[in-house]
Amino acid sequence: MDFRETLLSAMRALRSHKLRTMLTTLGIVIGASALVAVMSLIAGLNSSVAAQFQSIGTDIISVGKYPWVQMGDEEDYWRRKDITLEDSEAIGRLPSIGLVAPNIHTRRNVSHGGTTMRFTLVSGSTPEYETIDNFPVSEGRFVTSMDVDRRRQVVVLGADVAAELFPIVDPLGRDVRVGGKRFTVVGVLEEKGDILGSSQDDLVIIPISTFEKAFGSRRSVVVDAQPAEGVPVDEAVDDIRQMMRVRRKVPRGEPDDFAVNTQDDLMSSYESLTGVLYFAMTGIVALALLVGGIGVMNVMLVSVAERTREIGVRKAIGARRRDITLQFLVESIILTMLGGIVGIGVGAGLGFLVKALTPLPAAVTPTSVALAAGFAIATGLLFGVYPASRAGRLKPIEALRYE
Amino acid sequence: MLIELEGLEKTYEVGSESVHALVDIDLKVDDNEYMAIMGPSGSGKSTLMNIVGCLDTPTAGVYRLKGREVSMLDDDDLADIRSAEIGFVFQTFNLLPRMTAFQNVELPLIYARGDRKARAERVWDTLEAVGLTERAHHRPNELSGGQRQRVAIARALINRPSLILADEPTGNLDSRTGEEIMGIFNELRARGNTIILVTHEEYIAEHSERIIRLRDGRIESDLSA
Repeated sequence: MDFRETLLSAMRALRSHKLRTMLTTLGIVIGASALVAVMSLIAGLNSSVAAQFQSIGTDIISVGKYPWVQMGDEEDYWRRKDITLEDSEAIGRLPSIGLVAPNIHTRRNVSHGGTTMRFTLVSGSTPEYETIDNFPVSEGRFVTSMDVDRRRQVVVLGADVAAELFPIVDPLGRDVRVGGKRFTVVGVLEEKGDILGSSQDDLVIIPISTFEKAFGSRRSVVVDAQPAEGVPVDEAVDDIRQMMRVRRKVPRGEPDDFAVNTQDDLMSSYESLTGVLYFAMTGIVALALLVGGIGVMNVMLVSVAERTREIGVRKAIGARRRDITLQFLVESIILTMLGGIVGIGVGAGLGFLVKALTPLPAAVTPTSVALAAGFAIATGLLFGVYPASRAGRLKPIEALRYE
Repeated sequence: MLIELEGLEKTYEVGSESVHALVDIDLKVDDNEYMAIMGPSGSGKSTLMNIVGCLDTPTAGVYRLKGREVSMLDDDDLADIRSAEIGFVFQTFNLLPRMTAFQNVELPLIYARGDRKARAERVWDTLEAVGLTERAHHRPNELSGGQRQRVAIARALINRPSLILADEPTGNLDSRTGEEIMGIFNELRARGNTIILVTHEEYIAEHSERIIRLRDGRIESDLSA
């Protein structure tokens, strides 16, 4: 029997039991859609994390009270002793460290004329912040050491703030109010875009000395540092930790009471997150395919029993064992393939839904589609073999006698 | 010689008992014969037909079809012989319900791996021979009993078999339709086909030229007209 006829015959058989066909494929649908949806989620995470990494400098070391990835009680971190500008200077003096940029943050309203941006991020820092934390200026200039030394009331606007407060006129040289205090605009930052739906351009940067004068100095400082030329990040991190432990008098054997953050930390915690996702997905997919496969096997066994007489007739008119086996095998593979196709559709739909409704840029990947299709077909093959070979082995006279 | 049976036996084990369905059958059937096998139920006529039709194998003895020993062949070899040499007509028609008359008739050709282009022409010719070209694209449940049996006969003929085996072919038909079907068999006979009928109706058997009567698994009589 040629393949075309086998295919047509399988389609005819499945069409005659539409509801049963649909119900049977449900497990496969769930498995395939879980696979496609989760993989599109992970693809979305990957691309947003890649963007995040690009926006931070690649070899940045950030020393602060809080780790980037927090575990446990927020209060434990909050109770820690503040990091000071003296700490920043000490870090800057380490031979393994190149540039340092201490920075402090608050949220204030920023206004010009009648327009106000509420709770904009206000960062106080030094000129090095531009290089280390990657804040290229599109217009005017960044904060200079002169600004810091003289505590000048100057401000560099993030792209969003500039666009909002100065839709028409050039902001350079104009005055804005930051937390009620008057500042003169000296520069505008290049646009950085969104990460996971939150803008990175809704901020203003002022000299760190001016910040302390205007908004108080009792804040913990974050020290962003770059290793010296040719020094590996690990080595620089070790030096910082050793020195900070001495400065903060951490007893031997006690854990650090400060955080030294690097991209590696972020990367590894990100990897553990996607690892969990992959693990959960693999579990769901495996379980759904197993359940689906058993369902398929069950339905195929029923189908073989129902069509015993048909099998007898086919054998009587010349069908060989493999003709019958192939017919039922193709039927079960088509069954799971249909489930796979529907599942891929559902999974892709979920992915698009996530993309439309959340900031996560979920994206359906060809790999996930291929995997889902492959698993669906493999399930049909695996769980179809037994019923199909049973059909093929039926004795013609017994099958013909079957009522 | 088309069929030679020598000392053919068929024994079934039913529980602890052995049932001798066929006992020491010797039979020769020539090309071009039109024969009926008769006997009461339980006489072994169905068993004999199944073995002659290569649906079943004997427990002992020799069965030669066209001079080839077939009593010891395996499943797939028997399937090839059924495909090439034997056309079955059943009492209950046994058409596949999801397929049209055309597709039912085509099926043995597909299993015989015939050339696809030549297939359609052959199917039309055969449907024409049983007078069913207009109903070719109807499914069995849209056909009358007589029409269904014509489709079944066309299906039996499509591979030009050496032997047509008909098991109570009129058993599910009224007597007028039954006569029509017997008319078709007479025509096939006239065109040179070998036919073996299994029946318990005398008037059906009378269409044939030779009547074998079975009783308790043995040949009781073998009469030629």
